[in-house]
Amino acid sequence: MLGVTAFPRSMRRAAFALAAAVALGLAPAHAADFPRQPIEMTVLFGGSSATIAQILADSMSKELGVAVAAVSRTGASGAVGYSYVKSTSPNGYNIVWNSNSISTAYHNGNMDFDYKAFDGVARVGMEVPALAVRTESGWKNLKEFAAAARKQKMKVGVSGRGAFTHLASAALFDKMGIEVIYVPYGKGSAPVELLAGRIDAALQWPSQYKAQVEAGQLRVIAVTSQERLPVLPDVPTAKEQGYNVDAVLWRGIAAPKGTPKDVIAKIEDAIRKVVTGKDFQERAAKLGFEPAFLGAAAFDKFIAADDAVTAKLMTELGLKKK
Amino acid sequence: MVGLIFGSIPGLTFSMALALMLPFTFGMQTTPALGLLLGVYVGGMTGGSVSAILLGIPGTPSAAATVFDGYPMARKGEASVALGAAVIASTFGGLFSLVVMMLLLEQVAAVAIKFGPAEIFALVLFGLSTICGMAERSMLRGLIAGTLGLMLMIIGLDELDGVARLTFGTVQMQQGVNLLVAMIGLFAVPQIISTFMHYGRIEPFKMPADVRARLPSFRQLKDRLWLMVRCSGIGTGIGAIPGTGGPIAAFLAYDHARRFDRTPENYGKGELSGVVAPESANNAVTGGTMIPLLSLGIPGDPATAVILGGLLVHGLYPGPMLFRTHLELIYALYVSIVLAYVVILVVQLWGIRIFVKVLSVPPHVLAVCIIVLCGLGSYAIRNSIFDVYLMAVMGLFGYILQRVRIPVAPIVLGLVLGETLEKQYRTALIMTEGDYAVFYTSGVALFFFGLTALTIGLQLRSSLRRRPAVE
Repeated sequence: MLGVTAFPRSMRRAAFALAAAVALGLAPAHAADFPRQPIEMTVLFGGSSATIAQILADSMSKELGVAVAAVSRTGASGAVGYSYVKSTSPNGYNIVWNSNSISTAYHNGNMDFDYKAFDGVARVGMEVPALAVRTESGWKNLKEFAAAARKQKMKVGVSGRGAFTHLASAALFDKMGIEVIYVPYGKGSAPVELLAGRIDAALQWPSQYKAQVEAGQLRVIAVTSQERLPVLPDVPTAKEQGYNVDAVLWRGIAAPKGTPKDVIAKIEDAIRKVVTGKDFQERAAKLGFEPAFLGAAAFDKFIAADDAVTAKLMTELGLKKK
Repeated sequence: MVGLIFGSIPGLTFSMALALMLPFTFGMQTTPALGLLLGVYVGGMTGGSVSAILLGIPGTPSAAATVFDGYPMARKGEASVALGAAVIASTFGGLFSLVVMMLLLEQVAAVAIKFGPAEIFALVLFGLSTICGMAERSMLRGLIAGTLGLMLMIIGLDELDGVARLTFGTVQMQQGVNLLVAMIGLFAVPQIISTFMHYGRIEPFKMPADVRARLPSFRQLKDRLWLMVRCSGIGTGIGAIPGTGGPIAAFLAYDHARRFDRTPENYGKGELSGVVAPESANNAVTGGTMIPLLSLGIPGDPATAVILGGLLVHGLYPGPMLFRTHLELIYALYVSIVLAYVVILVVQLWGIRIFVKVLSVPPHVLAVCIIVLCGLGSYAIRNSIFDVYLMAVMGLFGYILQRVRIPVAPIVLGLVLGETLEKQYRTALIMTEGDYAVFYTSGVALFFFGLTALTIGLQLRSSLRRRPAVE
């Protein structure tokens, strides 16, 4: 109000430069001045994956120097969040905590676009499902389970029809040559149903069983990855037991298609520092999450390959709609 | 404290507050981290009643049943009594469930685990039978409303089969109708419309000028002590069964109170018991959900799922082993819950003075503020602008229903219970490959089916008896 003339010339120039910079901030971002405003990370699901996202966002903001906010947009198997992020401008300020759900939601017919609507930024890690049975059942490995399943049809708890745990168990039981009844539970109540004896086995995430396994009530008989898990070092993989399956859930960060390459590189770099850091790895291990960093270019290829596998599997299961 | 604030702002639920608080706990020591999470949880559960009573908008889904009598009490100028009773009932319920948790953890967990899909279905069906009682004048209207609620529930992506239902091909509709969005629309918006319609034409509804902070008398509370005990029991029990939760407990408790009252016709018009019952039950849920969480490591609702995440990050795996390896932590947990309630009690009782000032604002001015809160709340639940439109549509719908005198309470009940009802029914049948025997071979399920039949029978009899008297 006092009049800009009261300012020394240099300060006026500085103010002008600042105003120009603010105006530029609204225009498509450039790597040189990225990031200059908070970044929004859309999270598609609740539970432990949301906790990992929060840890990641928290550490990323320290690396990038701006706030990274993990914002929950759940619903419709991820389709709601993906649609939201797809509709934002590709400037790096909107990213999504993505996973295999990009493929399952598309092939299920819940979304009319697939992974190609996004540019991969970085893969963060993997989660490996594990097959658990009651200790009192006496089954110690997949062979014994398969033998029992041939005599009597087993009930297996999964998270929902077309959900990743359903696909992974279908892949496993297909290799084992047995037919089971899939009981979809949603919201993680399969372990309690297993404990109560209403189902015979459950394919869920290792952290969900940890307490019961320690107490000797449940036994994990297989994991569906190619290698054993650090959290379950004594549990053999399905491959070791003669059934070659490779079903792991990956999680990473993607940005809307067309986000400038140098902006992606900056975020990728921040994620690399976080994910390879000791702090993140320790916390992730406690949540049963395996950090497995992959850079943007490799991540894009990885998603494309995984999408093809998922599509094939879903077609075989009769779950593919498009 | 934080929970209290979040709980009292509609739309900002305690599940969300918990999620927001979680990153702060990462860097903390285990005990304060646990204390913070639990404080937010119980605080949020209690704070939800504030906006439910004052504005008729439930702050959290669990406070939905509190609106039925809490809001009419506020309109009668008894807001402070309702708020006081709510916080006392909440504290009572919370501490009651804590005691149950400490003494009977193993036993309750053993019973709760017996509730499989068939049993939960029977329990929820029993809950749904209370629709009969909620229809004030005509059972037909109540049933229409209940069916509307169930139909609204169907919209969205089906969790079990991953199939989109009634979405007309849009992604947004796949989210379904959120309970809280529907409640804000159905309860708050019609009130606002009426306020504006009436403004200037007829003498606007006068809030009693005397809005002194008057606490419920000792006698009022003493008379309802037994009710609080029973409703706390209901809350603890429901909370302990994974897959149910606060809203279901609150509705069952509300109905229970109404049914065993000598003057059930007062309910919905500002009956103190109608506030005490759901509030003691929904806070008892907090202790109840801790039972499966601590004894089995299984979260009973989204809020405890976040708490579980917090525990895991600190390297604590809840379950039978936790009692052996970290007993000191279990005690810390008990103490922090008690402390949280002490703080809540003090803050809320003191805050009532300030809260009731809201009612001295002229209704049409207040209505404008409520519109803003409705919009904000609807957006915040799922960070979705679609929900704001949905809230507006539900509001208009609610207003029309009010004009044709269809009660909205059964719609909400349909929405609350419908999802669990359908899911458990289908899971039970998938498990048995379509064999219905599962429903009548289980004693627990039979018991609740019996109760359901009894409820409907009694209601029919009383309405048949009343009819000749009317004519």
